[in-house]
Amino acid sequence: MTEPLVVDGLARSFGGVPAVREVSFTVGAGEIHALCGHNGAGKSTVVKMLSGQLTPDRGRILIGGDAVRLKSRQAAQRRGIALVDQELSVVPALTVLDNLLLGDIGAPLVNRRRTAMARGRQVLDELGLARVDPDQPLATLGIGERQLVEIARALSQDARLVILDEPTATLSDVDSERVFAAVRRVASRGCSVLYVSHRLSEVLRLCDTVTVLRDGRHVDTSPAAELTVDELIVRMLGQTPHRLAARAAPDPDPARALTIDRLAVPGRLTDFSLTAQPGRIYALAGQLGSGASDVLRALAGLHPRATGTVALHERAVRFRDPVAAARAGLAFVSNDRKSEGLFLDKAIRWNLVATRLPELASAGVLRPRREQRSAQRLATVSGLAADRLGVPVATLSGGNQQKVFVGRNLLRDNVFALLLDEPTRGVDIGGRTAIHRLLRSAADAGLVVLFASTELEELLELGDVIITMRDGRTVGRYDGGVEGTVLMRDMTHGVSAA
Amino acid sequence: MTTSEVSPATSVPQRDGGRRPGPLAIVLGVAALAVLVAAVTTQRFLTLDNARAILASAAFTGITAIGATLVMIAGSVVSLAASQTATVAAMVFLATQQWGLGVAIVVALACGVALTAVQGAVIGFWTANPIVLTIAAGFAIGGLATWFSGGTPVYAKVPAFDVLNAVPLGLPLAVYVLLVITVLAQWILRRTTAGRQLYLVGENRAAARAAGLPVGRVTVLAWAFFGACIAVTGVFLASFTTSANTSLGGNLTLDAIAAVLAGGTAIAGGNGSALRTLGGAVLLSVISDVLLLRGFSTGAQILVKGVLVLAVVVTVHLRSARGRR
Repeated sequence: MTEPLVVDGLARSFGGVPAVREVSFTVGAGEIHALCGHNGAGKSTVVKMLSGQLTPDRGRILIGGDAVRLKSRQAAQRRGIALVDQELSVVPALTVLDNLLLGDIGAPLVNRRRTAMARGRQVLDELGLARVDPDQPLATLGIGERQLVEIARALSQDARLVILDEPTATLSDVDSERVFAAVRRVASRGCSVLYVSHRLSEVLRLCDTVTVLRDGRHVDTSPAAELTVDELIVRMLGQTPHRLAARAAPDPDPARALTIDRLAVPGRLTDFSLTAQPGRIYALAGQLGSGASDVLRALAGLHPRATGTVALHERAVRFRDPVAAARAGLAFVSNDRKSEGLFLDKAIRWNLVATRLPELASAGVLRPRREQRSAQRLATVSGLAADRLGVPVATLSGGNQQKVFVGRNLLRDNVFALLLDEPTRGVDIGGRTAIHRLLRSAADAGLVVLFASTELEELLELGDVIITMRDGRTVGRYDGGVEGTVLMRDMTHGVSAA
Repeated sequence: MTTSEVSPATSVPQRDGGRRPGPLAIVLGVAALAVLVAAVTTQRFLTLDNARAILASAAFTGITAIGATLVMIAGSVVSLAASQTATVAAMVFLATQQWGLGVAIVVALACGVALTAVQGAVIGFWTANPIVLTIAAGFAIGGLATWFSGGTPVYAKVPAFDVLNAVPLGLPLAVYVLLVITVLAQWILRRTTAGRQLYLVGENRAAARAAGLPVGRVTVLAWAFFGACIAVTGVFLASFTTSANTSLGGNLTLDAIAAVLAGGTAIAGGNGSALRTLGGAVLLSVISDVLLLRGFSTGAQILVKGVLVLAVVVTVHLRSARGRR
């Protein structure tokens, strides 16, 4: 047997709780093999075992026919397994070439510049980064190109198997296409690819074979050509998720609307205007750099140089200061829940009530019982276990962390508008449906809901009104039915209507 | 709620809520045990007089350290200008004795609060680097002290401060004040909105800002409390020495930081408590006392304290670094 990778009966548990049980699959040479499953299905654990970060309790890993024990990432690297992690691990301050050499066990002690340079050039060319200079600081590249450099680094290590863990989670669709092209090129050279992703349509387009995990078990391995997104979802969830019904627009209520007039952020956003009615969900469709996210950040007070006028509930909002924006009733959910959202080491309870402390206090003194009641109610509403509120948020899955982040803004008397930047980024499908339901019920309760997203499925599913943006300008506005292809065209090639 | 609403991911094994003894508890436990053994085998350690001496010497540093705890929890690292601020507060206190003890205390406290709250405002609202800012502030405040005193010691015209050197029930008044301030700080941290916000700001300042929490305001509050604590220390130092020269503050800055760190409060913010700092201050004071009774030099005392603080800091850092992943 000379298959590059055979996984046979792999199992691993944590503290007696099995995370992976009896997972087996085979990856052939030059095959792009997808690993799917929602959070908690065991994908990350499998990836960690294959890349030497965890040792299996049972089962075997065969590389090129040899059973191996991988005790560290270096050991895995020596066997030809390269991992491109979920989060970027490139160093912006270094040059592209330095980043390529970073963590490469094959790099000689004394760096031979010319050899390294030639090799770096070759690897970059192969990934379609021909216009990138190896001596260029990485900071000058866009986020998509950085991701490609990270993939290039994995390739430059003469890998037989490249594991890509959510490589496109932070990328716009255009940048994702470049990653797909690179992955195809890598595979065409005979290198195998294990591709972990939540984005199912991209999985079906890119991959040859799909292995589905559910609750740590191996559900199925089948050719991607035989699957549809819906079938894949059914296999991942074991049930068909319901699509939310289309809704009639509520009567406009100007007294409770959010009025944005010629909002601008120098270099990022030009003259954005919108009157958002309560009870409706407004979707800002735009890739990274389109200004969609800047609309939300400016409203939340995080762009001190923003200009324009904003009013909520007929009161002017001082939107250049986050404290004033929050006091005016705007609640912001950042696209980066780890560094700009949650207090990870703190308990769920603390996180849920973090922004409503004054309401739970009398004369500045907290009332523990009121706090506990409030946290429990929010946990129940957000679909979190109400009996585990003392657990640090860091121990939760991405989906549940996001529920805490969104849930913290619900049921507040003094919040009138929710601003969400990529509300389901890095969230599993189950969690995503739950968060969409939360946002819908918030709108039903009379809130203005405004969110930005790059995902077509999310935009179509959740947005009552979709506004497309590109290069800091509004391209189009769609109140009724619209095709995904139209949105995509607006987002990538659209010209300003103004 | 029905269980079907809970996604399977919530059944990840629960970390026990900090009940199990962590490495920090072990380090501090070993240190306390070693100190206890050394103490019991040291002559004259287990006497009432010695216990009083330990508490008395912990009090001055301890009061400032409690204030520093709040600032450290808020993530502002710490002020390196505490000694100078205490000196200025002491001088102002002595120079205003003729107006009566109450007025003198109020003026000294106001002085400490003003000097420190301004630094807090610059750090809280404009995100200045606390270390750099407070080094600069330390020079400026030291200069203020020299200018105020003309370089000579400040004496009181009327010794109204004598009341503060009282020893009710055999313990210096400063010890009672330390206990009251500890309880007050602990209550602020645990039971007030501002206290909770201090922990949140210290843990993740960017998140607190994006959520619209009053980052600047709570930072200023923490620093103002710190300033008041420093001023109280200055008042007691002045009463104790009956005069104040420019070096009155001595090693107060670093001693206070050592007490906070020995208590296991994380220098990066977001964690810690006033009770721990009280423990840290007493522990350091016991170490000094034992070494003093055994005839070791001041150098040896500082060395041992330094090693303990280092061990605690390293342990705390390793724990939080691993916790993050």
